[in-house]
Amino acid sequence: MNRELFELNTTISNMKDLMASDLDPYDAIYLGNPFCRDYEANFLEELDDLRVGIRHCREAGCKVYLSTYAAPRNYFMPQIRRAIGVAAEEGVDAVEAHNLGVVRMLRTEFPAVPIHIGGFANVYTDTGAAVLGDYGSVRVTPNYELSLEEIEGMAKSTGLHVEILVHGKMPLGISDYCFLLEYEKDWGMKCPDLCQQDLFLRQGEWAMKSVGKGVLSGRDVCMLEHLPHLVAAGFRFFRVESISEDPAYRRDVAAVYREALEEVLNGAFQLREGWWEKIQTHTKVGLCNGFYFGQSGQLYIGNQQSAGFGETSARPSTELGRMSSVEPLSRAVNNQLRVIS
Amino acid sequence: MSLTGRGILLAPGGSVEASKASLEAGADAVYVGLKGWSRGGGRGELTSGELIQVLALARNKGASVQLALNTIPKGHEIDFLVERLRELEAWGIGGIILNDPGILARIHQCYPDFPLTASIGCGALNLGDVALLEEIGASCVVLPGTLDPAEIAEIRPHVKAQIEVMIHMVDEFHQLGKCWMPSFYRTNPSPMPEMPADGERLTGSIKRGGAGVCFKVCQQPWGLYFNGQHVDERMLPARQVSRAAEVSAYIEAGVDVIKLQGRSLPVEQVFSLVQRFRMALDQARDGRQVAGVPPFELPRSWVVVGR
Repeated sequence: MNRELFELNTTISNMKDLMASDLDPYDAIYLGNPFCRDYEANFLEELDDLRVGIRHCREAGCKVYLSTYAAPRNYFMPQIRRAIGVAAEEGVDAVEAHNLGVVRMLRTEFPAVPIHIGGFANVYTDTGAAVLGDYGSVRVTPNYELSLEEIEGMAKSTGLHVEILVHGKMPLGISDYCFLLEYEKDWGMKCPDLCQQDLFLRQGEWAMKSVGKGVLSGRDVCMLEHLPHLVAAGFRFFRVESISEDPAYRRDVAAVYREALEEVLNGAFQLREGWWEKIQTHTKVGLCNGFYFGQSGQLYIGNQQSAGFGETSARPSTELGRMSSVEPLSRAVNNQLRVIS
Repeated sequence: MSLTGRGILLAPGGSVEASKASLEAGADAVYVGLKGWSRGGGRGELTSGELIQVLALARNKGASVQLALNTIPKGHEIDFLVERLRELEAWGIGGIILNDPGILARIHQCYPDFPLTASIGCGALNLGDVALLEEIGASCVVLPGTLDPAEIAEIRPHVKAQIEVMIHMVDEFHQLGKCWMPSFYRTNPSPMPEMPADGERLTGSIKRGGAGVCFKVCQQPWGLYFNGQHVDERMLPARQVSRAAEVSAYIEAGVDVIKLQGRSLPVEQVFSLVQRFRMALDQARDGRQVAGVPPFELPRSWVVVGR
């Protein structure tokens, strides 16, 4: 395995999920759920679990990163400080900050801990990334709305490592409010079980997955067939976002990407039907490329005919639906590729 | 004139007429957008000529004008903006509202004396956020009106930057500055007004195109499916935050600037909104309990759509 040539990582919220997960396809694991303090046994709250979890990942041969809350108020900060303290004691490889206040805390109180900037931090510009670099950040996940062209430019101009989401449901925002709590009585189910259910918001063919205090894209971002381009462009840090997925998804999707990335780096990449079959098994709504090709996030651009697989339904009849028509290809996209909405 | 002292009332100016209404209703300052560069979207922006008119109106009232340049432009557009500021600074603008820490830091390096406000879109929520933004050049940081006075009181003693709180705002499901739902469904690149090169405004992106064009994704009826079964039809929650009764508490907590959202409100509603908060602020300054402030009725479509 090319353990040194690239990094494939994912996010795991708690000990239960960690112990149920096969970490073999991964090089690194982010521990902690950035959405909600009440998420069941969140590593960010259960610090004994965090300690054990870090050791478990290490024993599995993975680097370990601590993720932190996406939108912390003042009263979150003491607990974040405690969690980073435990992680630092255990020699965690980095802490992911989605928030300027956490970046500043890391810089001033934990200067030896490398900082990764997460996708909620709103890094849109080279200058923004550079500012965070000045505060000790070594890696940045740019905002999801940026195109590959822009991300490549950011990596070149700042010299920072850039991490990108290659597969999984893309976060579309963070909320103060969990509307799932409104259903506790009707569903006979309470927090923290609610947000772990299979919950989608749908309008026609469009879907978003609810995770309580935020939503994820219903379609999974999939960059499998574009991996040669990503590697050629110099990207080496890849995330499979499995925070809301089951262990089988976490294992199977990453195994496909691991194999594919190794083939890319060995110069022998060829898309295999077996990979798509595996991806299809875990795709509920369909695939998209996020914003990587300078388009709306829900489009799939590529040659894979079955990219629209997953559940299907009639086109939406609302105004929102009519606005979703396929738009012209970005100048950044090879005109030979197909758009599958 | 920059914003100095505590209890400045900063009101919206989505047009020349709305700016005039805000000033006549008692605003100490108005914030306006410049076409193409403002998060308020196309409906709440001014041309350069209109901006000059508003500056003259404000000058006559002894008020200040803050310029919202709070979309996030791309590389060459940032270069253009930095140059353009030389001209805008000379016009007597009281300060610039920016939405990206990197752009803020760069403009601060180029114009160290120009007051810069870190927009609510910068996502500041805690002391460390405000302190970092101050360190990179913000002279003022905007916090959402969802923060209570007690939270602001914890921040105030530790920073020198002015603290501005948007105590009249729409609290949408996703936090301001942390929502990519609209652009996930659609983006529509369009030419950037008042920019000679190939400037591009990404309509649909709240951060890069303006909130006035966010396509109302969260206010669409969405079916909620549990294990594949339709269990409800709903919109995502949103509410109006309007904390006029708590103005005193915010001022006591150390808030310097009271900000009102509403650049796309009709002129008559801007007037009554600003008048309401002027009354509340005057009572607070006099040490009186805020009382008798008339209720403010919003048009039904205003929530989310018409910020």
